Amino acid sequence: MQRDKFFKEIENLNHPNEKLIKTHCSYCGMQCGMNLRVNTQTNKIIGVEPRYDWPVTVGKMCPKGVTAYQQTNHKDRLLKPLIRDDASLKGTAEGFREASWEEAYDLIAKKFKELQNEYGKDSLSVFSGVSMTNEKCYLTGKFARVALGTRYIDYNGRFCMSSAAGGFLRSFGVDRGSTLPWTDIHETDCLFIAGSNTAECHPTSMFRIWNVQERGGYIIVVDPRETPIARRADLHLDLKPGTDLALANGIVNQLIEMGYIDEEFINKHTNGFEETKELVKEFTPDYTSMLTGVAPEKIIRAAEIYGKAPNAVVMFARGVEQQHKGVDNVSAYTNMALVTGKIGRPKAGVATFTGQGNGQGGREHGQKSDLLPGYRKITNPKHVEEVCSVWGITPEEMPQPGVSAYEMIELMEQKTIRGLYLLCSNPAVSAPNQNFVRKAFKTLDFMVCSDFYLSESAEFADVVLPAVTWSEDEGTVTNIEGRIIKINKAQEPVGESKPDWQIQVELAERLGKGKYFSHLKTARDVADEFRLATKGGYADYYGATWDKIDKQDGVFWPCKNENDEGTPHMFLDKKFYHPDGKAKICALPYRPPAEEPCEKYPLRLTTGRVVYHYLSGNQTRRIPFLHDMCPEPFVEIHPETASKYNMEHEEKVRLFTRRGEAIYKVKITEAIRKDTVFVPYHFGHEESINLLTIAALDPISRMPEFKACAAQLEKVELKKVQ
Amino acid sequence: MKKRLYLELENCIGCRSCLAACTQCGGHEERNRNYVYDVNPLVNRQTMPLMCLHCENPACARSCPAQAIQIHETGAVLSALVEKCIGCQNCTIACPYGIPKFDQEQNLMYKCDLCIDRTKDGIPPMCASVCPSNTLQWLTDEEIENKKKQFNLDNGKWVTSMPYLEGETNVKVNLPGILQGITKLF
Ligand code: SF4
Ligand code: SF4
Ligand code: SF4
Repeated sequence: MQRDKFFKEIENLNHPNEKLIKTHCSYCGMQCGMNLRVNTQTNKIIGVEPRYDWPVTVGKMCPKGVTAYQQTNHKDRLLKPLIRDDASLKGTAEGFREASWEEAYDLIAKKFKELQNEYGKDSLSVFSGVSMTNEKCYLTGKFARVALGTRYIDYNGRFCMSSAAGGFLRSFGVDRGSTLPWTDIHETDCLFIAGSNTAECHPTSMFRIWNVQERGGYIIVVDPRETPIARRADLHLDLKPGTDLALANGIVNQLIEMGYIDEEFINKHTNGFEETKELVKEFTPDYTSMLTGVAPEKIIRAAEIYGKAPNAVVMFARGVEQQHKGVDNVSAYTNMALVTGKIGRPKAGVATFTGQGNGQGGREHGQKSDLLPGYRKITNPKHVEEVCSVWGITPEEMPQPGVSAYEMIELMEQKTIRGLYLLCSNPAVSAPNQNFVRKAFKTLDFMVCSDFYLSESAEFADVVLPAVTWSEDEGTVTNIEGRIIKINKAQEPVGESKPDWQIQVELAERLGKGKYFSHLKTARDVADEFRLATKGGYADYYGATWDKIDKQDGVFWPCKNENDEGTPHMFLDKKFYHPDGKAKICALPYRPPAEEPCEKYPLRLTTGRVVYHYLSGNQTRRIPFLHDMCPEPFVEIHPETASKYNMEHEEKVRLFTRRGEAIYKVKITEAIRKDTVFVPYHFGHEESINLLTIAALDPISRMPEFKACAAQLEKVELKKVQ
Repeated sequence: MKKRLYLELENCIGCRSCLAACTQCGGHEERNRNYVYDVNPLVNRQTMPLMCLHCENPACARSCPAQAIQIHETGAVLSALVEKCIGCQNCTIACPYGIPKFDQEQNLMYKCDLCIDRTKDGIPPMCASVCPSNTLQWLTDEEIENKKKQFNLDNGKWVTSMPYLEGETNVKVNLPGILQGITKLF
């Protein structure tokens, strides 16, 4: 399916005494195909071989993918459950002792029951993540609601994809991250890419993206930094961090003014145009330039290129989404496609670059505080009934909606939440305002963490459970395109580690809820129940069987039954998912970042990734090649700014905000705005930039504003650094 | 059909996946054999790989007093033979691009062998397999000829090998600037 000009028939190299297991990368939403090399004598994973026959990435991998296999048999793997009896050591890696699963389960069940007896069901919470299979994400939602009976479950997508989800739901009535398959990307005529450092964060998109220019098409990049993709773009709109909404409004205004709109499409298939037209009028090139710092000519030129392009794709990522108006930014950029009608056909549409491996699937099936499988709402009685019939509980037993990830942490600090089961996430690095977050974790009466390494967050736990890596279990993941793909098992679990779904089944049994879970004996059992639970929801996976995924090179949701081949392109019939079938063009008044620069904090701090690391770095910092390439964080500063502060390249300096401070090495580059500094967020403890970031949340997605806050720099005495 | 390594330097995004992948090649003992440079690190993010070009008349092999550097029938200039290399490091000095690396402990030169255990059977080398930006590609001569036509510039800036490089090479290189000659779609 969708084999294009980049696809070549190539046979793999087979070494003697080795077999190849087809699978995908453990890290980002690209989910590059790869083969794991397994020694047939030791049955251990020993390397990687490209998967040339995967149509999206045709063998390509970034350095994270190439070295991903080194996670499995890594010396830091947790081999047995760990218990820490001395709570005063919380927040350190000290005081853990190895224990049996029996002892760990007994302790967890006892503590969970005690807390719930004393403080009520909702005194427990589940904080999860989406770097795991759909099956695990699904079961985690069920575990929280059915085994624990708590309303408090949420997940790390609140720090990743939730603004994209909120924006798409508002604009289209459906949240599928890409309206078209990635095999369309190189065939479009213009890519408008905002807030995505694609070359570093989704590198294997790049051969398609460059091909647009080779064909004579255009690339427009919106970023405060001249990233590798911005360097070669036809147009680089170097905006101030946190001003996307103004820029998007300004471009939509120009599209209208210059007559690039598609009136027929607007009339037939959208609502909200007139109101939006009125609102964006104010955003003239000069006014927009004043707000964003982008030259007026560039704004006009961007609208002209995008407007003229026969086909174009609007793309964005965390740069626009991790703001306290992230949802508005998403809808505002989506407006560009809706007013010009460049959507609902091949080679044109809107896409977000999904951050985590299963950032798409993981947000659809009930790990979010208000969602149930199949993208159902927990506040919709009909939806609740449908899911209850699969789970075997009554609607009365279904907990109420909870709160978002960061708000759960606030409730921990207030002692409303007293127990935490954390899995597949490392919020002691990734959440904003770390000084507060770490204090909140210390406040907990009891915390369980499931991970395959002792993460910074595990350091706050009373019990740490050894989970498996992606290569020791099987299941499905939904990639950046909305394509459901299959992760395969290449090796037996290391030590006594177990997959999280199994841990949840066994824990549920200890909690007296076995009858809802004990039938789930294999990953495939979970998969079958999961597909059934999504049936009839709009993220319907029912027809996406593992066989079909294998045969078709993945299945795009929705896929409703056996005969349904899935939906690579969304909205081909120009039907959107709002009740009247129309999309919504949104009139969105501009709001500046929550914290604007001032005399005391004159710089704009923005954060992001480097190509060598993934998320909190708990995995990639342990991989020798990746560690060698980027062993520590740094602060990127423009040379003029550095000279104002009298700072030199590689000098250690103090960066601070109203919330915290850290010491970083200066990295001087002209490829950043003079008023902006950048620090990558993959590092823990005192190196974490999230000690400084602000927890200003988007009103809809509850996404914190990682991408913009006010900061100041200071030179440090040498002795202070050591 | 014979294929070659082809480099389109304009595309490089500096991810160093080529280096990571190099360590994955069976005969490479988990050491990478090429280089990726930051062209102008304090100014912008331009990067480019520096790969062995597998010269047709390689200075490294010519300079070797022990005939430790063999040329494979595919044209690949191989890494030094363990039993022959005397560790004189002539080759590292002779190569105009500084490609051969030296292992002090083993007193042995090692360099890119174009993943000979792959390329001898027509399987692309690891670097060109994984390169996310298509800076490194594994192409037939016909495909390279097409590239040449596609990027033909009036000012003669399109370059494979001569005259900028030292002699003819098996690897073909396309220097930055390819986009200048492209006619825009609209
Ligand atoms: S991290 Fe992302 S781009 Fe890199 S290999 Fe893995 S899936 Fe592909
Ligand atoms: S893999 Fe390709 S893009 Fe990455 S550094 Fe090497 S040549 Fe450049
Ligand atoms: S580039 Fe250097 S190492 Fe490679 S063949 Fe030519 S002279 Fe030898």
